[in-house]
Amino acid sequence: MTGFLGPNGAGKTTTMRALLGLLRPSAGEALVEGRRAAELSEPLRTIGAALEATAFHPGRSGRNHLRALAAAARIPRPRVEEVLELVELREAARRRVGGYSLGMRQRLALAAALLGDPRILILDEPANGLDPQGMRWLRDLLREQAAAGRTVLVSSHVLSEIAQVADELIVIRAGRLVSQTTLAEFTERGGRRMRVRAGDLEPLTAALVEAGATVERDGESALLVAGLDGARIGETALARGIALHELAPVGATLEDRFLEVMDDGEGGT
Amino acid sequence: MNLLASEWIKLFSTRTTWTMLGVGLLGEALFAGLFVGLASLAEIGEISEVATGVGLLLVLALVLGVLTATTEFRHGTSSSTFLASPRRWPVLVAKLGTSFAVGLLAGLAFVAVNGGLALPLFESRGGAMPPAGELVDVYAGVVVSLGLICAFGCAVGAIVRNQVGAIIAAIAFFFVLSPLPELLPGSVGDFFPAQAIGALHGRVEGDGTLTQLGGGLVLTAWTAALFAIGTALICRRDVTE
Repeated sequence: MTGFLGPNGAGKTTTMRALLGLLRPSAGEALVEGRRAAELSEPLRTIGAALEATAFHPGRSGRNHLRALAAAARIPRPRVEEVLELVELREAARRRVGGYSLGMRQRLALAAALLGDPRILILDEPANGLDPQGMRWLRDLLREQAAAGRTVLVSSHVLSEIAQVADELIVIRAGRLVSQTTLAEFTERGGRRMRVRAGDLEPLTAALVEAGATVERDGESALLVAGLDGARIGETALARGIALHELAPVGATLEDRFLEVMDDGEGGT
Repeated sequence: MNLLASEWIKLFSTRTTWTMLGVGLLGEALFAGLFVGLASLAEIGEISEVATGVGLLLVLALVLGVLTATTEFRHGTSSSTFLASPRRWPVLVAKLGTSFAVGLLAGLAFVAVNGGLALPLFESRGGAMPPAGELVDVYAGVVVSLGLICAFGCAVGAIVRNQVGAIIAAIAFFFVLSPLPELLPGSVGDFFPAQAIGALHGRVEGDGTLTQLGGGLVLTAWTAALFAIGTALICRRDVTE
């Protein structure tokens, strides 16, 4: 499962639409399994997509929306009932989409994406409009899909959502790739910092700066130290005869790293 | 076939389609009751006027045809549609086929109401009935004209994707602009849709000499040309909704 991150207007939706053959890239090519979307012989069975705020005809029922798609893609009708069940929309399926909540529309869009039981799922902001239960439900569903061997590309601006589900991370900014790594690598690359507590912070700070560290105050009684590992910090303190009360690594959160990369200009990788 | 089935589901799963067809047929019934039932025989004129009292249904069929193309862009369902079938021209061919078929259906419904209501009323008032063969020709022309005008609307909708704009453009062109060439001397008017509909209905106006078959061909040619333009545009344009 790959998370697709970028600030608003970075081009996430545009990238996805180009990949799906809805937009023609002004340069380069967008390929799915080595072919352009228009050349796929069974498009819905290859790639299923739920685009941001997928639109529906307000006067058409959820079931009929799926039926029309299923007919176009030669997918047997019983599959429509299956996906309705899967997204827990069975009871509302007869109602016209105009009366659906945003969360229900998201589910219907997801049902459409799953209709062809595709190998690849492309989901643009699928968590938008979902309540907390819905979020958890979505998370579980995405994990299931990935565990079943499907490739999932999911964009979101809710970073914590991405952090919980993604294995890989693609970050873009202003239409350019900023980073493409595993989630773990991405958050770690920010450089680990150490939280240090000691009785007397003043001399310790001076000593650490002398040893080449960047030191920040973290509240009343702690320091955040970057540029030195735990062993060097401990040795430096010992050399000055300062007793350490705490020495612990602090992992950068995805959000920290994301904002850092966005501030960086050209960014990392 | 699968795309036709898909379009058929789309068309008949909203109330709009049913409403428009219903209103069209109701208008037809009213026409029979009020005009054929109350006007003097001299005012009614020829039987072909009775058998082709189809004006409202023509407009509605044209609009319905426009909708088959524009609704997807208006409500943004075009993305889903083109995901299910990324090659776009077959989708448009299916839309054209569907609109033609719906137009024919509307035509058949018209014939049923006309033959069951307007004609008997006309006859009971002492109107002169034409030979059966002539009546069949007129009815066939009406059915085909409704199919073609609906397909024509679809072609206009493929070019002008804005729904309101497309409806206005289709109606303005068909009912306001295209009758104008009839006023010119010679048979220029024969090559425009309005005159073609007249010919299909067995009426020849102005200097025109268009036959029924000729009328059908003219309307088909217009539809095909506009449809080709619309399809080329949609295949090139980005789908952003």
